[in-house]
Amino acid sequence: MDRLRLLLPLAWRNLWRNPRRTVITVIVVSVGLWSILFFSVLLNAWSQSSRDTTLKMMTGEVEIHAPGYLDDPTVAHRMAPPSGALAQILNSPAVKAYASRVRVSAIVQSEYKTLPITLTGVTPEKERALSVLPAQTEDGRYLSTAHDDGIVLGRNLVKRLKTRIGKRVVVMVQDTDGKLAERAFEVIGVFSASQQVENEFAFVGISGAQSLTGLDQDISEIVLDAANEKSLPALMNALKAAAPALDIQTWRTIAPLAYAVSTFFNEFVIMWLWVMFALMAIGIVNTQLMAVFERVREFGLLQALGMRPRLVLLEVALESALLIGLGVVAGAGLAVFTVRAFPNGLDLGFLARGAELVGAGRVLDLKVDPGEFFLYSAIVWALGVIAALWPAWRASRVSPVAAMGRA
Amino acid sequence: MSTIVECRGVAKRYRQGALSVDALRGLDLQIEEGDFASLAGPSGSGKTTLLNILGGLDRPSAGSVKIAGEDITKLDNNALADLRLKRIGFVFQAYNLIPVLSAVENVEFILQLLGAPPKERRARATEMLEEVALAGLDNRRPAQLSGGQQQRVAVARALASRPAIVLADEPTANLDSKTAEDLISLMSRLNESSGVTFLMATHDQRVIERTRRHIVITDGRIASDERRTRPAS
Repeated sequence: MDRLRLLLPLAWRNLWRNPRRTVITVIVVSVGLWSILFFSVLLNAWSQSSRDTTLKMMTGEVEIHAPGYLDDPTVAHRMAPPSGALAQILNSPAVKAYASRVRVSAIVQSEYKTLPITLTGVTPEKERALSVLPAQTEDGRYLSTAHDDGIVLGRNLVKRLKTRIGKRVVVMVQDTDGKLAERAFEVIGVFSASQQVENEFAFVGISGAQSLTGLDQDISEIVLDAANEKSLPALMNALKAAAPALDIQTWRTIAPLAYAVSTFFNEFVIMWLWVMFALMAIGIVNTQLMAVFERVREFGLLQALGMRPRLVLLEVALESALLIGLGVVAGAGLAVFTVRAFPNGLDLGFLARGAELVGAGRVLDLKVDPGEFFLYSAIVWALGVIAALWPAWRASRVSPVAAMGRA
Repeated sequence: MSTIVECRGVAKRYRQGALSVDALRGLDLQIEEGDFASLAGPSGSGKTTLLNILGGLDRPSAGSVKIAGEDITKLDNNALADLRLKRIGFVFQAYNLIPVLSAVENVEFILQLLGAPPKERRARATEMLEEVALAGLDNRRPAQLSGGQQQRVAVARALASRPAIVLADEPTANLDSKTAEDLISLMSRLNESSGVTFLMATHDQRVIERTRRHIVITDGRIASDERRTRPAS
């Protein structure tokens, strides 16, 4: 502690002997750290958005199907509604929400056009707990019960069919007997989502879908969210044990692109951290080496006066720690300021549909994660100090006689 | 009167590639407590080499060097640093103050290295600055002091830890006549009042005339060692 009291003021004042160099280094470190932290926030938000876009539309964290359904999503691959051990797990606290669906390929026809869709029979109250689409019904209304006679279509599909709320459309499917079945539904609501979702999905009450397809009480899938994502593996094991004959998969395998996007962003942050750190380290080491070379005579003097080489090393290392510390504080502050500049999230409207291609929503919710900020700042600070140990070590190896003999 | 410095057969050989230069050739020397001695000789005679060895800044190639009875040739780098801190005060030709510290902090720095409590070291540093007639200039940085004032701070710093000996290498070389005279008087007064032992390598005749002992070194050996009871005033 005494040594710190001796060296700290010395190190701090030495920093400001060449203010321009110090300021430049602080800027380099702070901009580097800012970019790491802001990219981390941005990519985390993007990753979260991508995940939410996937999981909050139609895909749950876990999906249960009859074997073969994912390859051939028809009524041929149907399953009974949950019962017994499976129903017990689905209604346990380990499951946040679940819904049974009928989901089959179909044709929708208006008086102007015929288009392919995925007909989805839902139980509205269950669906609201799993998907954001019911809440995104902007015109008309969403389905009210499982027996609702109406149909809810995506905005783009409505436009392409040249239909509107109050008009009727005909839905055609292949039923369980392999025959073509059709039924007219009144358009009761229009939802907004990504272009692909708007074009693909049409929602009707599950009872209507079951009677149209001849499924009776059978369903196509069960979709669920776990109460806690960390307990997902344990939940998966329990589900597989309860329904060994069914195909049970997590969103990671069902939506591999969304999962890849989310994990890629995490890895990208780490990669960016190393790239930025390498650039910063070059600047830091260069600055400190210059500072050491300019002050060789002074380090000789300190040793001549009786300062042990270890203390000389500590003094130079402290200078680096302070220098990098200033940059880290400035960089972290700048990153917090930047994130706070977007209190309502970052609107990616300017990217138009481009953002959808990588699965992101329109608005990224930027959030400062204090733990992550602290971790990355500490890593940059510690690595910077370690990089600057080399110049410090050189300073401590100065021979007093040789150093004092320098002009 | 005890012996502060005792050199026996001290030699120093520098190697520069295939070439070797003998800076000191079996030199014997004793400095007694309270000596006020000058060390003179032509350039390259070995004055600075001898001071460096006595100060523990360099090691002899042969021979033994004892400071206050301790053979310093056997000490490692850390022990030598401790020796310089506790037993030896340095005054250099180029002042060599720490530029980012004020006058009083420069003096205090040594005491801080020694682990003296804050109040005690500040009092001692202030006292030493008063002793060298720099009272009131405590908070000036070296760049705000004249050459003579900087050298006085260096003397105050050298004496702050109450060392066994002060080694001065050409202390007046960078000073004008008046300032040099003042510095010599100051060191002489400190020697007489506090009994501090001084050994000064110098070409300056005014310094030589004011010392009570004059050692001449030629070709790495002591050529003459003259003690004077009454130096020129």
